[in-house]
Amino acid sequence: MSAAIGLAAEHVTLVLGDGDQQITALNDVSLQITKGECVAVVGPSGSGKSSLLAVCGGLRAPTKGRIRIGETDLTALKDSQRTGVRRSKIGFVFQQSNLVPSLSALDQLMLIAHVNGSPTKADENRAMKLLDSVGLAARARRRPGQLSGGECQRVGIARALMNRPDVLLVDEPTSMLDHNRGTDIVKLLATQTKEHGVATLMVTHDASMLSWADRVLRMEDGRVLPASSPMATAAQ
Amino acid sequence: MFLALRDLAFAKGRFALMATVILLVAFLMVLLSGLSSGLIERNVSGIKLMKATHIAFELDNIPSYTNSFVDKEMWEAWAKVPGVSAMTPTGITAFNARNSNGTALTVALMGVVPGSFMEPNVLAGATFASDPRGVIISDELIEKGVKVGDVIRLDRVLTELKVIGTAAHANIGHVPIAYAPLPLWQEATYGPPGGPPPGDELPKVLFDYASVIALQVSDPAQLKKADDEIGTVTLSREESFNAAPAYREEVLTVFLIQGFMIFVSAMVVGAFFAVWTIQRTPEIGLVKALGASTGYLMRDALAQALVVLTSAIAVGGVIGYMLGRYIDTTGVSFKLESAAVGLNIGLLLVAGLIGAALSIRRIGSVDPIIALGAER
Ligand SMILES: Nc1ncnc2c1ncn2[C@@H]1O[C@H](COP(=O)(O)OP(=O)(O)O)[C@@H](O)[C@H]1O
Ligand SMILES: [Mg+2]
Repeated sequence: MSAAIGLAAEHVTLVLGDGDQQITALNDVSLQITKGECVAVVGPSGSGKSSLLAVCGGLRAPTKGRIRIGETDLTALKDSQRTGVRRSKIGFVFQQSNLVPSLSALDQLMLIAHVNGSPTKADENRAMKLLDSVGLAARARRRPGQLSGGECQRVGIARALMNRPDVLLVDEPTSMLDHNRGTDIVKLLATQTKEHGVATLMVTHDASMLSWADRVLRMEDGRVLPASSPMATAAQ
Repeated sequence: MFLALRDLAFAKGRFALMATVILLVAFLMVLLSGLSSGLIERNVSGIKLMKATHIAFELDNIPSYTNSFVDKEMWEAWAKVPGVSAMTPTGITAFNARNSNGTALTVALMGVVPGSFMEPNVLAGATFASDPRGVIISDELIEKGVKVGDVIRLDRVLTELKVIGTAAHANIGHVPIAYAPLPLWQEATYGPPGGPPPGDELPKVLFDYASVIALQVSDPAQLKKADDEIGTVTLSREESFNAAPAYREEVLTVFLIQGFMIFVSAMVVGAFFAVWTIQRTPEIGLVKALGASTGYLMRDALAQALVVLTSAIAVGGVIGYMLGRYIDTTGVSFKLESAAVGLNIGLLLVAGLIGAALSIRRIGSVDPIIALGAER
């Protein structure tokens, strides 16, 4: 395997809560995702999937272990620097899309450009191109309230790609959608992963979506279980 | 301001409500400022018209035009102080009086030395040169029905003043001024009722006293020293407003009302932005998760507050100003002074921004983890 590592977790442990209410949400988790690879994470509720995304995305600092985004050791950074990494190297796709209600589809993407500095005409062109690639060029001026759930989720994917991320972190992207729309979204994620060469970590509940992933990780009680899926075995 | 302006447009209904309150406050502030300037103007217009740069009062903790009492020794000493280019003793006493036709009047009789810089500009009629027992009255007394040629008789002392001319609107302590030659003022203020007994003269000593010493100062360096030596307190003309009756109290009242309004608007703005910030917590968490720093979001929110406040204050201010211009023409004591209006409006804006800033601070405590969804 010569492909560059996009995302790596090394012996990551995350303990949440305080005092005698402590919970080990992640227990010695290690994983590597190469650029252009789409890895799905499944597991029962409470198994630590969201925690894994939070730690990989720099939203939580792990109690132990290291996270690397491309060449950057996320765990060595201060809070503000982690925010900077999120800004420039990470794309998030959230459950139920999580768009800003006041912004048009195009502005959802332009917000990313604004947060990263002063946007140029090139940024706007990129935003339009991304919206086009998720089939929403014609709806660029619509706000979330004027878009369907599936369309919102596609805007969310386009937004996640706006900052040319190394890593795409996706949390249950289909939970609010019906089966057909959900399949579309996951297909879109898989193709965008290849097209943009990002390392994608996708949490999902929906077993029927797993065939689109290059690899599937199973989690239980904060641990990643040894590879069991035929595809995962094949990949190694 | 990318997000701020779009949020503003999106939630315009809510912002409009808050903006309306601020608009009304700005409107009231302009009118209140006009009223207070008008009130102050009515109190001290006579002092503003004085061609003195400084006024020396009898040494007192709270100098007062009407209570001050100075003597000849003092004003002769002041004449010799370096940096004082001219000085003239001046008397001020308020009298109840009646016009020839029986109308009751209150006048502030101001005794000035004829020919000194304190002699008023005569708008109509004659100057003191024509009649040593004549008075020149503020225009306001003309509006109250007094005419040139009338005789005003002071109550109790029964001194008769012949109106020989009129001067510009001049008040002190809200009372219109009648300018008299200093000896006539001294007679009315210190002399026996009804004037000297027939065939007799007033005692000379009467003419050695006045209320204050009006000064024209070219170099104020020696004033403090001279005050100490002579036993006076010297105030600049503007400082001496405080020595006019009720001036301090009026200014304090107006100041308290304005301060209270500014405080209340800061609270309104603060409360609004507190609620608004709490309501947009999910959005703040999301944008933080997407990589926006707390600083970016705070600047954005503060810019939003600035836009809302400036536009509301500008609209309210302009409406207030236009109404004020109209009121100005109606004769109500109202005066729009751009400096006073500007100061109040500026304070309103700053107070609003502080209120907003205090509420917006909570952006800092929003954890971007909330973007990951309902399960904490
Ligand atoms: N903020 C928190 N404080 C304490 N415990 C938490 C917190 N967030 C999650 N947990 C616990 O950590 C474990 C993993 O949660 P999570 O990562 O959300 O799992 P999943 O996304 O797989 O449902 C669960 O037992 C959950 O109750
Ligand atoms: Mg979860």
